[in-house]
Amino acid sequence: MTITLALPSKGRMKDDALAACAKAGLAIEMVGNERSYRGRVVGDDSIDVAFLSASEIARELGNGGVDLGITGEDLVRETIPDVARRVAIGPRLGFGHADVIVAVPDIWLDVQTMADLGDVAADFRQRHNRRLAIATKYWRLTRDFFSAKHGIQLYRIVESLGATEGAPAAGSADIIVDITSTGSTLKANHLKVLEDGVILRSEACLVRALTTEPDRREAAEALARRFEH
Amino acid sequence: MPLLNLPDFTDALLKDLAGRRTELVTIPVIQPAAPFLDMAGEDLRRRIFTTESETGEALCLRPEFTIPVCMGHIEGNAGTPKRYAYLGEVFRQRREGPNEFYQAGIEDLGDHDVAAADARAVSDALEVLRALLAKDSGLAVTIGDQTVFEAVLAALGLPEGWKRRLVRAFGDRSALDAMLSSLSRGEAGNGSSEASRLVEANDRAGLVAHIADLMDATGYSSNASRTPEEIADRLLEKHQLSEARLEAHAFSVLTEFLALDVELAEAPAALASFADAAGLDLRAALSRFDHRVAAIRNRSGDVSAMRYRAAFGRPLDYYTGLIFEIGAAGQVLAGGGRYDRMLTLLGAAKPIPAVGFSLWLDRITAVRQADGKAGGTA
Repeated sequence: MTITLALPSKGRMKDDALAACAKAGLAIEMVGNERSYRGRVVGDDSIDVAFLSASEIARELGNGGVDLGITGEDLVRETIPDVARRVAIGPRLGFGHADVIVAVPDIWLDVQTMADLGDVAADFRQRHNRRLAIATKYWRLTRDFFSAKHGIQLYRIVESLGATEGAPAAGSADIIVDITSTGSTLKANHLKVLEDGVILRSEACLVRALTTEPDRREAAEALARRFEH
Repeated sequence: MPLLNLPDFTDALLKDLAGRRTELVTIPVIQPAAPFLDMAGEDLRRRIFTTESETGEALCLRPEFTIPVCMGHIEGNAGTPKRYAYLGEVFRQRREGPNEFYQAGIEDLGDHDVAAADARAVSDALEVLRALLAKDSGLAVTIGDQTVFEAVLAALGLPEGWKRRLVRAFGDRSALDAMLSSLSRGEAGNGSSEASRLVEANDRAGLVAHIADLMDATGYSSNASRTPEEIADRLLEKHQLSEARLEAHAFSVLTEFLALDVELAEAPAALASFADAAGLDLRAALSRFDHRVAAIRNRSGDVSAMRYRAAFGRPLDYYTGLIFEIGAAGQVLAGGGRYDRMLTLLGAAKPIPAVGFSLWLDRITAVRQADGKAGGTA
C-alpha cells in the first residue's frame, strides 16, 4: 500500500511546504525532472507525492482522492462541504498566513461590527431597491459566517475571482469578504475590517482525508504526527 | 396530467380549490433564481437546485410557489382582487429524505379587508385539510401576528433602531433572546474620530457635508451605494442608542408577552389584560387583532383547536402580519401568512395586500394512510 501526499505545485507555498516536509524528516525529490508533478520520499516507497494547485489539493482531500495534503485552511473550509466529517485539519505549519475578513468602505463611519452590518443589510432593499451585495470567492465561508453565525440573511453574493478589494469602489459590490495578510491592499482601496469581522485566521496546514479506507487512514495519521511541533 | 406519482386525492383537491373562487395557474418548473435569493437571502442557495442558462442566467428548480405566482400576477398586469390556486412539485435540497414534494395552495391578492382575507385563508386551509383527512385527525392551528409584537415595542417607547432589530429577529427565538440581552447590556458608541464631534453636537448638516467631503476625497462618490445622508442618520441614531439601555421593566414586559400561549378564543382577553397590567396602550393593534379573531370565528365556527402564540412568527422581511400553521401528529400540514410587502419588493407599482397558504401534500398522504383513508399511491 502507498499513500499519497499532495503538495502545492508552485511558488512560495511549494518551497515552504517542502521545507516543512524536510523538518518532518521527509526528503522529497521529483520523479523525472524539476518540472514534474510527481515526487517521492527518499528512502520511503510507501509515500507517493503529487504536486497540485492549492485549491485542487483541498478538493482531492474532500473526496478522498489523496490521503494527505498541505494547503491553506481557508481553501479547505471553503471547498469541502461538511468539512469536519471529511478531513482532519492540523498540525498547523506556521506559513501561508492569511485572514479571511469582512471589509466595508472606510466611509461607512456608522458600521463597525457585524451587528451594524446586519442593520444596514436589513434596510438596504427598501433604500436602494436591491440587496446588499458582497464580492467574494468564499461562498461557503461567507454564508456560514453571515447566515449561521450572525443571522444576517438579506444579502447577495457577487462572485469575484480577482481584485475583490476593488469591487466596492468600482460599484460592482458594496462590501467584500476576502483574504488579507497585511491589510495594505484594503487600506489602499479605502476599506476597513469590521471589529468582529475576522471569519478565519488561516494558515497552511497538514490535512488528512477521513473518507479513505482504515489502513490508509492509519498510515496517514502516523505520517501526520511527524509534522507536529 | 401524465404524472404517475400524484397524490391520489389530487382531483378532489383541485375541485375543492376551484370551488373557492380561485384561478388555477401553471407555474414553470424552471425559474430564474434571483427572485428567490433576493427574497429569502443567499443562504437559500444551498437549499435549492440551481443551474445556469447558456447565457449565464442563474436558474433554479421551483422551490416554492408564492414568489412565481406573485411575479406572474405583476407581469400579467392582472387586476385585483385575485385568487390564485396551484398544485405541483417543489424541489429542495436536503441532507436526508426526498428532494421533491407536492404542494398546493391559494394566494389571495389585493383584498383590502385584511381581517376577512386573513380569516378566509385560515378557514380555507382548515376546510381543505378536513375534507382530505379521515376525521379531524387532531388538526391543531397555531396563529401568530407580528403586528401585535410591533405594537408592544412601539408602546414601550423603544427607539426605532431597536425596534427594527427586534422585529427582524421575531420568529427566531434564540436570535431574539440574544438581541434582548445585548440591548440590556447596552452597545458601544461610535469610534470614528472626526465625525464624533459633529455627532455629539447633533449637527446633521455638518455631518452630511463632512461625509460627502470624505467620499469625494477617496473617490467613492461616483459609485457610492450608501449616501452621506444615510450614513449620517445612522451615526446619529447609533449615538442615541449608545446612551440607552433596555430597562428591566421593558425586558420583563417583552419576556412576558413572548410567553403568551393561549386558545385563540381567549387571546383578545389575554392580550387586553397583558396590556393593562403592563400599562401599555395597544388599542389600535388589539382592535385589529380582535376583528380578525371575530372574522375567523364567523367563518370557521368552532375555534377550539386554534391557539395564539405571541412569539410565533417568521424572520423574513416580507411577512407583515398573520402567520399560521396547521399540524397533526407533530407534522406541519399547512403553513400560511400575510406578506403585504412582497409584491412591491417584486416590482409591483402599488402595494398589494396578500395572504396565502400552502399544503404539504406528501405529509397529508402519510396522515391519510395512517388514518386508513388513502387508496394507496394511485
